[in-house]
Amino acid sequence: MSTINFANREINFKIVYYGPGLSGKTTNLKWIYGKIPEGRKGEMVSLATEDERTLFFDFLPLDLGEVKGFKTRFHLYTVPGQVFYNASRKLILRGVDGIVFVADSAPNRLRANAESMRNMRENLAEYGLKVEDIPVVLQVNKRDLPDALPVDMVQAVVDPEGRFPVFEAVATEGRGVFETLKEVSRLVLARVGSNA
Amino acid sequence: MVEPSLVLYGALYDRALGILDETLRETGARYALLIDRKGFVLAHKEALWAPKPPPLDSLATLVAGNAAATQALAKLLGEVRFQEVVHQGERMGLYVDEAGDHALLLLVFDENAPLGKVKLYGKRAAEALTQLAEEAIANPPKLNLDTQYREEAKALLDELFGN
Ligand SMILES: Nc1nc2c(ncn2[C@@H]2O[C@H](COP(=O)(O)OP(=O)(O)OP(=O)(O)O)[C@@H](O)[C@H]2O)c(=O)[nH]1
Ligand SMILES: [Mg+2]
Repeated sequence: MSTINFANREINFKIVYYGPGLSGKTTNLKWIYGKIPEGRKGEMVSLATEDERTLFFDFLPLDLGEVKGFKTRFHLYTVPGQVFYNASRKLILRGVDGIVFVADSAPNRLRANAESMRNMRENLAEYGLKVEDIPVVLQVNKRDLPDALPVDMVQAVVDPEGRFPVFEAVATEGRGVFETLKEVSRLVLARVGSNA
Repeated sequence: MVEPSLVLYGALYDRALGILDETLRETGARYALLIDRKGFVLAHKEALWAPKPPPLDSLATLVAGNAAATQALAKLLGEVRFQEVVHQGERMGLYVDEAGDHALLLLVFDENAPLGKVKLYGKRAAEALTQLAEEAIANPPKLNLDTQYREEAKALLDELFGN
């Protein structure tokens, strides 16, 4: 649930990029960091291993601006996708307002996509949350791979009921990155006031 | 949703600032922050003499992440919680303590602040802030944000993230 600071007149939202290892979560945040002008973003914090795999999280604060007298902010996080980092992954989900699930189009990652989604459901359940309770956007990344699977096929294993909005992306080139972020932000904002 | 949001405003917020301010004076620390468990800054105070602080967002996020990891470690060992955490370098140090289930107190101090005082008054402040956080959770303010907020916010999304 959003954090509201009445005294400073701020509303903050937490958006988490989830998905299997190497699917491109950190790449999304780096692209966003590179494109957002100074003054609208804070420092990007990355807790990563030497080989640039996320160890705990990446963090990027963005300033949307002032809405009806409230400074509105998004805090973007990525989780570590590698299976054995589940303990840290779970911690990052605390207080989440919206999720971008970054799936990998590589054929040999199809199963990892499905497992990561199952893992996300389990971790949310520990906070008493269901995937249905939270805005989720599905980003099917790495569309540039020569052997990229059809989007339908990725969607079929991650979200068989077709509940989440889907965006195709090539995060390394920025394709689909802002479209995805905008949609999840829109969904998160749409809930303000209705249940806060 | 399951986790209640901690919202400080009005008198409670002023009291929080008062506690942070007093703690700065008692300990000689540079900065005092009240942070929620998600890593957002709820209230902060800087000593008048202190240089410009590092980015507060980054501080708050890392401290909240660290605290979450520490708490998970305590649980693994069958403990309800670990005591406050102190990190000390050659010149700068951090004191982190729980202010109840929903917030954290962070003091940033330098070599001129005696560690004994930081711990003593830090603990006291954490207790006062625990009480305050509980009051805040028990009396959430009514949020009067309507469709107009959503419309305006959407326009800003277009501006910042492109059409
Ligand atoms: N071909 C291709 N490669 C990509 C794309 N997006 C990311 N990559 C590459 O995939 C690798 C992993 O990207 P990261 O962003 O670090 O992946 P991650 O999801 O953060 O991985 P973890 O931190 O381990 O969870 C990097 O070498 C990226 O350059 C893409 O759209 N196409
Ligand atoms: Mg990563």
